[in-house]
Amino acid sequence: MTATTMPATVSGLNHWAGLDEFEAFIDDGGMVEPGDAMPEVYRQEVFRFIEFHANSELMGGLTERDWIPKAPGLRLKQIFLAKTQDEIGHAHLLYMVAADMGVKGRTEMLEDLFSGRSRFHNVFHYQAVTWADQIAIAYLVDAAAFASQRAVFAQCSYGPYKRVLKRIVAEEGFHMRHGEEMLLRMAEGTPVQHQMFQEALNRWWWPAVQLFGPDSAPDDPLLRWKIKSERNEDLRDAYIQKYVPLLQGYRFQIPDDGVHFNEEAGKWVVSEIDWEPLKATMRQGGPDSKRRITNAANNWADTAWVRSAFNLEGAGAP
Amino acid sequence: MTAATQTQNTELEAVEAAVASVCDPEYPDVSIRDLGLVESVEFAKQGVLVGLIPTFSGCPALAMIAADVRHAVEALPRVSTCEVVWLTSPVWSTSRITPAAKDQLASYTVVLRAKDGGLRCPVCGSNSVSDQSEAGPTRCRSVAWCESCRNVVEVMR
Repeated sequence: MTATTMPATVSGLNHWAGLDEFEAFIDDGGMVEPGDAMPEVYRQEVFRFIEFHANSELMGGLTERDWIPKAPGLRLKQIFLAKTQDEIGHAHLLYMVAADMGVKGRTEMLEDLFSGRSRFHNVFHYQAVTWADQIAIAYLVDAAAFASQRAVFAQCSYGPYKRVLKRIVAEEGFHMRHGEEMLLRMAEGTPVQHQMFQEALNRWWWPAVQLFGPDSAPDDPLLRWKIKSERNEDLRDAYIQKYVPLLQGYRFQIPDDGVHFNEEAGKWVVSEIDWEPLKATMRQGGPDSKRRITNAANNWADTAWVRSAFNLEGAGAP
Repeated sequence: MTAATQTQNTELEAVEAAVASVCDPEYPDVSIRDLGLVESVEFAKQGVLVGLIPTFSGCPALAMIAADVRHAVEALPRVSTCEVVWLTSPVWSTSRITPAAKDQLASYTVVLRAKDGGLRCPVCGSNSVSDQSEAGPTRCRSVAWCESCRNVVEVMR
């Protein structure tokens, strides 16, 4: 057993005189554990963040599932089956960590999600129209999610979340390789395949870029408490610098008339972002929000008899 | 030992090292050899033949692992081609995982079950780990919970 797997503070007996002392502990690289007397504001913010992440994994997993029967060929069906299990499994682990924080139970979180009272990532409010959309999701959206999760893992101050993230980030890296493989097939395929992906890119470019969210507030508590290690705008910019030339290299067109390379700044610049579509998804008013939430809610209702047969409500771990 | 067999042994060692340099796509720092996936490495008529065994036959990483092994071996100067086959026997079990890989998995909060079926938490070392779900995020893992340090623990199965 190595030192990194058994931190001395894991007994969770830390308590702090006030927020200043707590923040000094965070600044020193301290790790907060479930039994610690953490400030209530920290508990609430971290809980909300993990709940949002868990909801997004679950809704993302349901999207992958929709495409298992339509995936072309046995190998891709196997991959989509495994990715679905991955995402739903990640949601499960995250809901356990979130529920343990004592703000909401697991059932309450699911019911809030299915009744439209809680949020999930913008990208799962859009419709995947063709198989190429699913490839755009695997190539563009998974990469954006991977970059944002890796930045949370980097410094994450909440122990149980960081430990789960280590596995999630490793697995998302594996998904990205699949995404790249599938994209290559379209990029180097027939003109029809190339056009099919271009149309999917037209639908998914902006939602993927907006996944990082609007610029971080100067006093964002998630940055202050090292849940996030990088500002939204910095992650978004790094993503644009990487994916604009990559996609253009495959002879795809970025659906933005204003995209250009600024010689002076030495970087790619995109047009001013219209945040209205993102705001709409946060109100469950995205193009496909209603269908997706209803679909997930129906799943939950249809499986009530399983939970009742196994007497699972409120049993065991959080 | 003749000079010829010595050269052959050195070459085999180089191939074995190349195979071992391949890591599991889902644990980027854990060697497939240490996970017990490598069953045989030999020189055949056409080139190098590597026999691997899967943890689970439905594992989505099999094609990727085989491609990574081929690339690693074919990068060696004196190897022309490498063929990778997935063997149906012996059947993989967690007993094939080496102590080194076991420690690495612990850093992912992933554990192996003890011979008596018990689970020890890789975070706090306590025995108060209880099974939660047979199905985890991957075919090869189930989900458990440590009541002592309140962490999610995953179990290789």
